[in-house]
Amino acid sequence: MPSLVFTDRGAVTRPQPAFSADAIIRVERLLKRYGDFIAVNGISFNVKRGEVFGLLGPNGAGKTTTMEMIEGLRRPDGGTASVAGYDTRTQLTQVKAMIGVQLQSTSLFDLLTVREITELYASFYRESVPVLPLLDAMVLTDKLQSRVKNLSGGQKQRLAIALALVNDPLVVFLDEPTTGLDPQARRTLWDIILRLKQEGKTVILSTHYMDEAHILCDRICLIDQGEVIALDTPAQLIARLEADQTIEFFIPQFSTFSQPRQQQLHACFHQMSAVQSVTVRDDRFAIHTTHLQQSLTDLVHIAQQEAVAIEQLSTRTATLEDVFIQMTGRSLREG
Amino acid sequence: MKSYIKLTQAQLKLFARNRQVLFFSLVFPILLMLALGSFLGNGNDVRVRGMLVDEDNTAASQAMRQKLLANGAMTLETNASRTEALADLERGDVQLVVIVPRKYSENVQQRKATIDVFYDEKNATVSKIGVQVLQNAVDGISKSLSDYEPVVTVDAQPVTSLGLKYIDFLVPGIVAMMIMSSNLNGVAGQIASWRERGVLRRMQSTTLRVRTFIAAQITARLLLNGSQALIVLLLASAVFDTRVSGAWLLLVFYVVLGTLVFMSIGFIIAGLAKTPESAAPIAGFISFPLLFLGNIFFPVSNMPAFLQPVVHALPITHLAHALREVMNVGATMGMLWLDTVLLLGWLVVAFTVASFTFKWE
Repeated sequence: MPSLVFTDRGAVTRPQPAFSADAIIRVERLLKRYGDFIAVNGISFNVKRGEVFGLLGPNGAGKTTTMEMIEGLRRPDGGTASVAGYDTRTQLTQVKAMIGVQLQSTSLFDLLTVREITELYASFYRESVPVLPLLDAMVLTDKLQSRVKNLSGGQKQRLAIALALVNDPLVVFLDEPTTGLDPQARRTLWDIILRLKQEGKTVILSTHYMDEAHILCDRICLIDQGEVIALDTPAQLIARLEADQTIEFFIPQFSTFSQPRQQQLHACFHQMSAVQSVTVRDDRFAIHTTHLQQSLTDLVHIAQQEAVAIEQLSTRTATLEDVFIQMTGRSLREG
Repeated sequence: MKSYIKLTQAQLKLFARNRQVLFFSLVFPILLMLALGSFLGNGNDVRVRGMLVDEDNTAASQAMRQKLLANGAMTLETNASRTEALADLERGDVQLVVIVPRKYSENVQQRKATIDVFYDEKNATVSKIGVQVLQNAVDGISKSLSDYEPVVTVDAQPVTSLGLKYIDFLVPGIVAMMIMSSNLNGVAGQIASWRERGVLRRMQSTTLRVRTFIAAQITARLLLNGSQALIVLLLASAVFDTRVSGAWLLLVFYVVLGTLVFMSIGFIIAGLAKTPESAAPIAGFISFPLLFLGNIFFPVSNMPAFLQPVVHALPITHLAHALREVMNVGATMGMLWLDTVLLLGWLVVAFTVASFTFKWE
């Protein structure tokens, strides 16, 4: 894949206001209501220059609304957001010149070609990067003369990202860029996002795929029901579980067992060596442990003693999904 | 400035690549004009269709037949029998049946000949003209046979009036119709769909200014409507020999004014429609009756009296009237002040409402 080619920034003079080098985006107590529903409830965070910052949460958590308030597309009902020191409410023109946006559900003029639409968007800005190298970096060189309506999902998303980069922005907003894409197309997009980081762009990425957040993001802001529930590096978030291994297994018909029997088994699992937490959903157990071997030995022992059938036994390293479940009691995929 | 040019170009490409737009904005009006123009375009020419049955078949009857066939105002078929001809008349296929009876030749010798004429009573106007034409022809033959010297003759001098035919009425109407439908329906459908699909939102997140976007829209649509009008006028001139009597610049002025009025109304519909699926039908619901009420195919004077005030308030009525007067009569702006004022009024009101109802998302 060709490397990203952007204009040499040396000669470009862009107003550089005073803002602290570590925070290019500041979000303070952002609030958005739709009638009685509070979509975003006082969210605050800072994004550092040059990092890939992830907004991770289930659908409807308020990720998109938060991003669109920073982009100036939605008016907050309270709180402030600024990009590079410019307030998104009062200095929107300056903000728009410095950001690139890929919207979650965007569509473009279907009957224009890839090249035409990129040149069109380039014309919207005072300064823009050369179109052909940009499209080459987005692996779209073969599609220059194709009309937008004939592109695949992955190609459309890469075009959307090309348009977000056409003004050589300081900050790129990517709202669920890989949703609905096949694994191959997702990988291509991940490579592109990692290259953006190498180029020194600041990227704000929203996703509800935990693997994606883990691989791409320097820091992750976990959002649920309009509030920040955790903000840290992926490694630190997982470390919070104080358990780096998970044992998963299945007990058929567990939910039909008598209540005392269920409680008794639950207690047994809890008392195994090195166990941090036990969760059960739909007869499926997840036991977080700090010492895999000890816990497993105890588990086999208990199964024999209590005469329960344990099926589909597996172990894995803890993931962000586990963090989310532990903090909210719900899975990321649930709405 | 470059975004204005690029956006205008982009919109023109979108027009050119959208087969539906091309069909409804250009092919359909042209077909309509050609069809209506060919069927109804001959204006006040009246042709009588009749049948001639020669039952005598002599030199005298042949002479009568030649005389009748030579008359340009009447087309006569000659190959039918008496019964066939009368059956055609009863069916209304012809308006007149002329029968030269047997023994016509002998009777001419005896100076008491008659020929029989049957005509369609229900189609009185045409039939009477036919009978009159026939009467003249028969008189001519009578006079030549009796060496008659007329004492008084009529000296008819032809004077050409403006010579307006239906096609002259129709062509400016077609231009007005194209301006209305391509802007009202086109803007409403396109903007509502762009809004729904997030096309407008995506542009809103760039440094593109709203006024640049609107200006490019207007420019592209003016160019589209201008070329539509030009194509229709040139084609009408080539096929039907119509002409533009007035100033081309004034014609352009009304094309521009009409485009702006109907674009504004289109923006209002796009703003008020709840979904893009409803915008196009609403626009159609508004524009379809206007095709018939709005002075496009039928003169306003043909409308029932209770509709007259409504019709006279419609912008399409005045656009069609202004275009027609400029093209047909060579009217000047001073003569069309009422149309101009009304269209400008519509523009101001519609533009104001549109700017309040327009939303990006």
